[in-house]
Amino acid sequence: MNIIWMIFLPIIAFIIGIFFLGLSRKIMARIHWRYGPPVTQPIIDIIRSFSQRSVSHGILFNLGIVFSIAGSIVVVLFLPFGKICPLSGSGGLLVILYLMLLAPLGIALSGGEAANPNISIGISRKFILALGYEIPMLFILLSLMTYYKTISIVEIVEAQQNMGWSIISLPLLLSGISYLLVLPAIMGIRPFEVVGAPQEISSGPMAEYGGQFLALATVEHAFSLFIGIALFVNLFLGGSGDILVPVENFLTSAGLGCIVSFLTGLAFSLKMLVVFVICLFINAVYPRLRIEQAIRYLWRWPTLFAFAGLVIVLIVGR
Amino acid sequence: MSLKLLLIIAFSGALVTYVSGKLSQRLRDVLAVLASCASVVMVALFYGKSIENAFYLVFLDLDLYLRLNTLSWFFAITIAIVGALSIIFSLSYIKKKERTDFYYLMMLLVNASMLGIVLSGDLVSFYIFWEIMSWSTFLLISYNRGPALAAGMKYIIMSIVGSVAMLIGMLSLYGSYGTLVITELAADVPSASSGYILFLLLLFFTAFGVKNAVLPFHTWLPDAHSEAPSPFSAVLSGILIKMGTYGFFLIIYVVIGLKVFLNLGQGLLSFHYILSILGAITIIIPSFIAVLQNDAKRLLAWSTVGQAGYIILGIAFGTSLSITSGLFHFLNHAVFKALLFMVVGAVEYRTHGVRDLNSLGGLIKKMPITFIGALVGVCGLIGVPLTNGFISKWLIYKTLILEGSPFLAFAALIGTWGTIFYSYKLIHNIFLGQLPEKYKDIKKAPFSMQIPMIIFSLIIVLFGILPGIPLKVINNIVTSFGFESLNINLWGISSETGTLNTVNIFVAVIIAVIIIWLIYKAGRRAVKVDQDNNYAAGAYVPRDRYHYTVDFYNPLYRMISPFLKDFIDIFYVKLTGWTRKLCGKIRLVYTGDVGNYVMYIVLFIALLIFIQLNWSVWK
Repeated sequence: MNIIWMIFLPIIAFIIGIFFLGLSRKIMARIHWRYGPPVTQPIIDIIRSFSQRSVSHGILFNLGIVFSIAGSIVVVLFLPFGKICPLSGSGGLLVILYLMLLAPLGIALSGGEAANPNISIGISRKFILALGYEIPMLFILLSLMTYYKTISIVEIVEAQQNMGWSIISLPLLLSGISYLLVLPAIMGIRPFEVVGAPQEISSGPMAEYGGQFLALATVEHAFSLFIGIALFVNLFLGGSGDILVPVENFLTSAGLGCIVSFLTGLAFSLKMLVVFVICLFINAVYPRLRIEQAIRYLWRWPTLFAFAGLVIVLIVGR
Repeated sequence: MSLKLLLIIAFSGALVTYVSGKLSQRLRDVLAVLASCASVVMVALFYGKSIENAFYLVFLDLDLYLRLNTLSWFFAITIAIVGALSIIFSLSYIKKKERTDFYYLMMLLVNASMLGIVLSGDLVSFYIFWEIMSWSTFLLISYNRGPALAAGMKYIIMSIVGSVAMLIGMLSLYGSYGTLVITELAADVPSASSGYILFLLLLFFTAFGVKNAVLPFHTWLPDAHSEAPSPFSAVLSGILIKMGTYGFFLIIYVVIGLKVFLNLGQGLLSFHYILSILGAITIIIPSFIAVLQNDAKRLLAWSTVGQAGYIILGIAFGTSLSITSGLFHFLNHAVFKALLFMVVGAVEYRTHGVRDLNSLGGLIKKMPITFIGALVGVCGLIGVPLTNGFISKWLIYKTLILEGSPFLAFAALIGTWGTIFYSYKLIHNIFLGQLPEKYKDIKKAPFSMQIPMIIFSLIIVLFGILPGIPLKVINNIVTSFGFESLNINLWGISSETGTLNTVNIFVAVIIAVIIIWLIYKAGRRAVKVDQDNNYAAGAYVPRDRYHYTVDFYNPLYRMISPFLKDFIDIFYVKLTGWTRKLCGKIRLVYTGDVGNYVMYIVLFIALLIFIQLNWSVWK
């Protein structure tokens, strides 16, 4: 069973991620009073890019992007999706934190070999921005792990089914708010679109990608979108299970376990959709910050909230 | 076979190598490699044995002992391997330089004395080997002359301060217990008053802290590491500073004992907690100072200070997981930092001494093996999953979080971010980007440099995928300190509070990579283009200057650099300035006039008479 999910989960994640990408273009267009491309546009683009000629700058240039997607796929296997988490027992949240590094690192190595300063500037900005949101993020994760006394994300999700969502449990409230404040930065959307910045540094790390590299980069983008939101839903919005507990018990007793998996997965996806649409609205109304402004913002209120959240958790305990 | 034989071979190997160098260079190279490899084999043969014997009776009324247990074996094998590989690396690195015989003598002497340190069973022989190590290190650091002399001077002065502190500690121990044999001390010292133990700890902390470059004793390290010859930097950073770590283990867990150590002081003011905080600070500040460096070796040197912080944090925190992590990180750091110094050494060798990160670039096409070494080393340093660094860092994070010290965990985690910053900068500025015209004929690293790099890279990946191999040895050490045994498999650690399974991660990554690679291959074949064939928004791509390296993290520099001055170093430099001035003033009494000297003598005798008349001190 686990093996089947290991194959299906990345595919599901990819479909959700790519759907979100298409949806974001549609919603953004409607906010701008345009008609916008169809939701399937990213898939069409991927297929088209694959058949186009591309240029390569060397082996690392090719391998970097492959490693980046592979890293993302492994992260997906570590994240509980509804009731499913194929690699739950292999290291927990800390491993996820580290595995999430593989994707940007792969892109950074791949882009580095392309010898284009636009890429280097983009990567340098990505790392700085990451440091910016990682400081509040680490405080948030530490307060979660201290509060639930575990380093396993599966246990955090399970604990929320008994105790209610983290974001509405009082000791974790500040951490939750702080997470919401840094979520756009984690996803790299406006006002934190400093890494790509198309008009400024020619899409940054993407500058040299064409043909199948561009297609793979889009796939990677879809995965990272999924991971960014799924982590938030798992940590603060209770994963999936809690809405359906009575139904779930009935179905499991009737021997229809796969329907439970499907329903929880659906609930999980719906939560992700809500979070994503909120993020899109933020994306639509804000202009891009400069990198210093972004850091200054991230190190002020979100960090303060997250720090206070950790102190509160330490004082209140469980 | 006895330990005595091992040390005799190690030390005499150094001397024989030196003498043979006068006859033939080739013979000397062979002997140096043989001597260092012999100690690897011999140490490996001692695996699992526990020995204690006197080797030279009655030195100043004291018995000298040699001793081997799991802890010293673990350190000894690391020393032997890193030492041997750095000798192999030296073969071509040092060939065209002068005073090569002397270089080999000192290298082998350092290795032998480090073996002596970890194998000595009493503090007198410990001290003797310690001093041999310190002085030969000093000679090697200043090998290149010029600024290296100042760096060596800085090192030896701080080292002497540490040694004196250790000597005082030893004398006090001898005065109290009449013995300096470690096992006998371990039986007596734990029952001493806590004030006395604190006094001892502070003295030995000074001694070992200087070697281990713990804040505030770290200031010698960046200069020394960047000025020393690269193969020796590998030894220096990989194992020599870890003699301080060994000292910490010896004094804290062997002599004083776990229980006494943990119960020294109370709550937030307990000694081990303060030491942990010191470790945490040693992680954060140097890791971010490293980001600001433009000299490749200086960057790595600061990184060493930061990584030593993880080890100190692991030792000081005092749970079985944290000590496991500290010991494992010692091994890991020895491996990947030696590897990285060798990488930088190879680049330095081929570019004729260029270490400036702003003037290199694009070397991946010219030195592929060196690049792979750099990549693996950097991944280990960051702690990317499937490298050894990941396991040790995972262990320390886990124990800090679950034992309720999230702020220490935060320090450790944020230090890793600093590590990512400077690691990528190192790789990007040296190997990626545009290859400057002047380096277009550069050759790849010589074979004798590639071998150690390949071996180290393999070790990093092997221990990352199958961490059970070293963890099993480490577990024996940890149980010998009086902890419960951990549940260790070949692929990690399993416990109730969270398991780690690296093989799962490995398989998942490999399968994912293969699938994506196949998908990538299904697309149209990409056309390989030159480095100048770049997107520049329609503008001309300038040759040679199209590499963004200077001030790589400029926005960050501007924000954090005012806070990241090395204030302690500035203070020490001021202190030496004041001392120099004071001594300059005192020197003025030597006027060169005999009349003045006679006056001093008369005054001094008058003082003595005055004292005798008033207090009658001398009977």
